[in-house]
Amino acid sequence: MLDRWIIRHWLMFSTTILTLAAGWVWVSQPAILPSSVPKSAPQQGFAAPEFRLNTFAGQPVDLAGLKGKVVLVNFWASWCQPCRAEMQAIQNTYADYHDQGLVVLAVNTTYQDDLNRAAQFAQSEGLTFPFLTDPDGSAARLYQVRAMPTSFFIDRQGKIVRVVIGGPMPEALIRTQIEAMLKEVR
Amino acid sequence: MLPILNIGPLAIQTAGLILLAGLWMGLSLAEKKYPKFAVQPAAVNNLVFIGLVAMLIGGRIAFAMANLSAFIKSPGSLISLNPSLWDLPGGVLIGLTVSAGYAYRHNVPFWSLLDALTPGLAVLLIAAGLANLASGNAYGAPAHLPWSIYLWGDWRHPSQVYETLAAALILFLKVLFPLSRNTRKPESVPAGLFFLEFGAWSAAALVFLGAFRADETLIAGQLRAVQVGAWIILSACLFLLGRRKKQAAAQVGS
Repeated sequence: MLDRWIIRHWLMFSTTILTLAAGWVWVSQPAILPSSVPKSAPQQGFAAPEFRLNTFAGQPVDLAGLKGKVVLVNFWASWCQPCRAEMQAIQNTYADYHDQGLVVLAVNTTYQDDLNRAAQFAQSEGLTFPFLTDPDGSAARLYQVRAMPTSFFIDRQGKIVRVVIGGPMPEALIRTQIEAMLKEVR
Repeated sequence: MLPILNIGPLAIQTAGLILLAGLWMGLSLAEKKYPKFAVQPAAVNNLVFIGLVAMLIGGRIAFAMANLSAFIKSPGSLISLNPSLWDLPGGVLIGLTVSAGYAYRHNVPFWSLLDALTPGLAVLLIAAGLANLASGNAYGAPAHLPWSIYLWGDWRHPSQVYETLAAALILFLKVLFPLSRNTRKPESVPAGLFFLEFGAWSAAALVFLGAFRADETLIAGQLRAVQVGAWIILSACLFLLGRRKKQAAAQVGS
């Protein structure tokens, strides 16, 4: 009985449903304040959590000071085969785009690695981007690193635009992401 | 949230694993229910297999075409196993086109085919909700409720749980329950209604629950893309449902 009535008045029935649904979409718009800044979290769409670590040579590097640059933060360890395998692809991309504002920070998870072995690997492979040490694992905890390697692509505003867990990352993936971020208006 | 499952030296992405399990369980359930629809099981299985392969390869080709310069510098990436080098819309479009071509060539009835695949789609939607819960994607808007979850630095609506529960409810009430009736015969219900009703309920659920999400892409000012997309699907399903129901009523009348 009800089914027959609905079929007979289908236009009215479906228009009512669609109007209610459209009304819900309209009233449930997210409230966004123009000044709102995304909180920091190791997830796409959030501000990249800030850290200050030393390079292998002992020079401090502050992530907060790199605003305006495109940053690739790569957590790695020398015993991790996929980490080692993707380093040359990162190096090739870094060589091509460093002049345009790309910064690569290779954060060695020193708390679970041998620093000498890591430094030897970087040198033998001819990797020219900065290598940082994370002796107490504070940066890895901040970025909730659960697998090696894990990479965070951070745009000029300091926002994470992509997280890649696992590896090795293909060179085309790194290039595609970096090129897209570099094209973004400052 | 459990994005990575560490098993010995292996680090498995939990979301991907859940989606694969969902695909397998969905196809198994659909296969069991094929006799309820006017389809040839072998033809549907072949179509699904060919469609999935086309979607995988097509997604990679679409991604490479859109980022040609990167692939010219690194052609080896074309055969990389990394799923990040994949274009979802392109893959789905190519998968659907190849499937449609197969269905046309082998005379697989369109509406009956969609009906037969509906149980699988219903299970896949549950898997998608669980995969989002595992990865922390599609996270909810900040809210302090007794059932809020702490995620990405805030207490939030467990939007992934809402969507999983809604998908489970639709599976039981709109898919399994109607199919459990012994009286249901392929010829007793007009083809397409089963799929379209499922589509309308799922889209309506997403229109409603999308409001509790926070990760959304916004379009036309401040409207959530997921809600607008779901509203369009709901409109299409209601329009087609009206036509199919009227056609069926006219056939009964004549």
